[in-house]
Amino acid sequence: MLLSLAPTPVRAQRPGVAVERRLAERLGLRVGDTMRLASSPDSAGRLFSVAAIYDPPRDPAALLKRELRLRMHLPDLAALLGAPDRIDRAGVALRPGVSAETAAARINLSAFGYRAAPSREIAAESSQTFAVVSRFHRAIAVITVVASAVFLLCIMLLKVEERRRDAAVMRFIGVRRRTIFGALLLEAAAIAIVGALLGIAIAWAAGALTNLYYQHYFATQVVFSLITPRIVLFGVALSLVLGVGAGALAALRLVRTRPAVLWGRG
Amino acid sequence: MSGLGGARNLLRHPLRTALSVAGIAVAAAMLLDMVMLSGGIERSFERLLLARGFQYRLSPRGTLPFDTEATIPNVSAVVTMLRRDPAVMAVTPVLGAAIFGRRRGDDSLVTLFGYGFDPSTHALDEMLRGRELAEGDSTGILLGAPAASLLRAEPCDTVTIVGRLDPEAAAPAVERRLVVRGIVRWIYDYRGQPSVGTTLPLMQRLAQVASEDRASLALVKVRDELATPATTARLRRELPGIEVNGVADLVRHFRERLVYFRQLALILGSVSLIVTVLLVTTLLTIGVNERLGEIATMRAIGVSRASVLREVMIEGLVLVVIGGGLGTALGLVTARYLDAILTSFPGLPAAFSFFVPRPRPLALAGMALLVTGALAGLWPAWLASRAPIAETLRAEAT
Amino acid sequence: MSDGIRAPVLDGRNLRKSYHLAEQTVQALRGVSLSVAPGEYVAIVGPSGCGKSTLLQLLGGIDAPTGGTVSVLGTELGQLSDRELTHLRLTRLGFVFQRFHLLPVLTALENIELPMAEAGVARAERRERARALLDYVGLADRAAHRATQLSGGEMQRVAVARALANRPAIILADEPTGELDAATGRELLALFRRLNADGATLVVVTHDERLAAEAGRVVPMLDGMITCS
Repeated sequence: MLLSLAPTPVRAQRPGVAVERRLAERLGLRVGDTMRLASSPDSAGRLFSVAAIYDPPRDPAALLKRELRLRMHLPDLAALLGAPDRIDRAGVALRPGVSAETAAARINLSAFGYRAAPSREIAAESSQTFAVVSRFHRAIAVITVVASAVFLLCIMLLKVEERRRDAAVMRFIGVRRRTIFGALLLEAAAIAIVGALLGIAIAWAAGALTNLYYQHYFATQVVFSLITPRIVLFGVALSLVLGVGAGALAALRLVRTRPAVLWGRG
Repeated sequence: MSGLGGARNLLRHPLRTALSVAGIAVAAAMLLDMVMLSGGIERSFERLLLARGFQYRLSPRGTLPFDTEATIPNVSAVVTMLRRDPAVMAVTPVLGAAIFGRRRGDDSLVTLFGYGFDPSTHALDEMLRGRELAEGDSTGILLGAPAASLLRAEPCDTVTIVGRLDPEAAAPAVERRLVVRGIVRWIYDYRGQPSVGTTLPLMQRLAQVASEDRASLALVKVRDELATPATTARLRRELPGIEVNGVADLVRHFRERLVYFRQLALILGSVSLIVTVLLVTTLLTIGVNERLGEIATMRAIGVSRASVLREVMIEGLVLVVIGGGLGTALGLVTARYLDAILTSFPGLPAAFSFFVPRPRPLALAGMALLVTGALAGLWPAWLASRAPIAETLRAEAT
Repeated sequence: MSDGIRAPVLDGRNLRKSYHLAEQTVQALRGVSLSVAPGEYVAIVGPSGCGKSTLLQLLGGIDAPTGGTVSVLGTELGQLSDRELTHLRLTRLGFVFQRFHLLPVLTALENIELPMAEAGVARAERRERARALLDYVGLADRAAHRATQLSGGEMQRVAVARALANRPAIILADEPTGELDAATGRELLALFRRLNADGATLVVVTHDERLAAEAGRVVPMLDGMITCS
């Protein structure tokens, strides 16, 4: 709904209006001030008294719209718009035990010019944007995981190959292949876990910065980046699996090579 | 010779090199995608806005086109005034309204989006089959493919279109039987949007705004050389009650709304470059450490520090060039996949694209990748060139 | 010892070198003086750790002495910048190492070309010279083989050819037969003999008595000092 707004210094007994904090800040409004609201720039409108200033709910869907909102009693808005007894939507609370889907179907049988929908359906529809963003994030995550896997495999290979001469000496003095393989695998696992924990710490710091930035940018309390225990677990488990897998591959190559070749005389 | 040595050094450990190239390729693909994403949104939106050459959108004061249900009153007067302006080549008012249609066969009501427009300007549609509306055609209608499917109608069929419904009377307030002239693609529709279009007066009657002669917006085409800030300022002065949006203004608003994607592109693009640096630096550092003896020998027989530095840096560059080449191909494939995900955003025009390849940013990204590769090689190269000759040779001998 | 008539091509005076190993200081050279005349064939011999390789490295400008001076063809190495020293090693000195140190990614021919390429010799000329040098060391048929595809003796002969690439005034060799079997070692001895006969100045560090016996002068070392010369 479009309303034109104009703060005015006049003080009187007016219908009350609650103003969203960002709008109040933009217009320099305080509780008790009077403002003129109109349905179009060329209409005279009506005077309202600022009864409250409120923070909007943490609704991610409203973030990008940048709409500035105010709340007033329904009859006041209807009078302002010149549309008495007309609404956009109405909420219906059902008695306990009544199914929303059944009730909506029954209403729709006799409805004309309107449609009843269960809240769940509306929520699913209105969260479509976030579903798309989530799919996008998942796709990016797949690419990131592939890149990380290759990176990890590469590092593990280098790390294990760095131990060529150590492995050669161990083989020369009679240490079994299995022992060398186990030691290299243990080293790979330790590196993967330490790396994963370090990564989580960096992610936590980056998430905190992201929240700080976007909460300031959108003037909202919505949380943008959230690291849950499940994410931590997934990160550590994935690193461990990839790290140990890559380490095992590299270690296998190493222990299968002749000690003389490892020493560089093969 | 150094270059040859640099490139051949990568063949000493084929698996290691292959893995590094693969890592760089994935990072380069991500960088490419993010470069396309960062500016692609704006480029695609701009292209969409200029699809029919209209450089201005006039909407109710304080709103963006179709962002609210607000409409411009007395739009005919505005159009007449604009048509008198020598700079203006064409003006077409458009009304958008929620209407209904009766499905052929079972007569049930389906919700549609209705465009009222001037058919002669072809500002909104692209004909798929059938024919365009004639000027002043008060009995014809154009259907988008999703609407045609909903209404089960084809060109030459007759459909019933319903304007506002009156819940109290439980009857349509306005109802018209119209002949389908053609099936079109509505340029600004989102995927699956069931839209229909008729002449503006007919749609005004269906939406019950005919008496106030309202339209949602007006599209204005001026001579290309006149689509300047000066013209925008003049139109704003002449139309104080109307929001005059140039393409740049709309792109700016759009950019603000999709700021997240631009920033994500920046962050992920930077991360890609960091990953490339880490990979190249790690590989070269370990590679250099393994052949310190050779490098010390080269230095001993008189090869200069600069030559050693060049050789190691060439190794880094070769890695990045090969990885970048593979990454480009991979990036183009992943961009299509990611674009398919993002273009399924509700309410986004189907013709929109998030990932648009543009030569200049892509060239810049390529340069950034090359510079990154060269810089990543700098540290190991410096280490190699500074290795103490005698000490290294002694260590090698033991 | 120089013959007193011709100016020495290589002149080390009162050379001292100490290293810091852990918390100990090791005196590798304790005031060594050695002059080499043009065309001379000198063998430095002594037990492991006596400082002979260190002396060779100081004479070749690979390492800097803790005390004393080294002159190559009348130029005092201590006065040169790193760039000038590198250029001197490239153009006036030739090195042969115990473990060959050929670049494994290059062919035999390319290994010989490397110092010439570094010195800015034109491609055609360096290729021709590299082939001639390969022919000289008896490996003309191995030009296209990578270093890793050559035997130990072949690698060392390629290393000698590489040392000769820029027509150096002096050739310095550190245990050149150390990694070779007896038969291959004999081939290298013959090559060194031929080189010296063709006018090359040779300074060789060795354990190999046969190699030392070939030299015109033997310089024995013990505990960082020359015992008699």
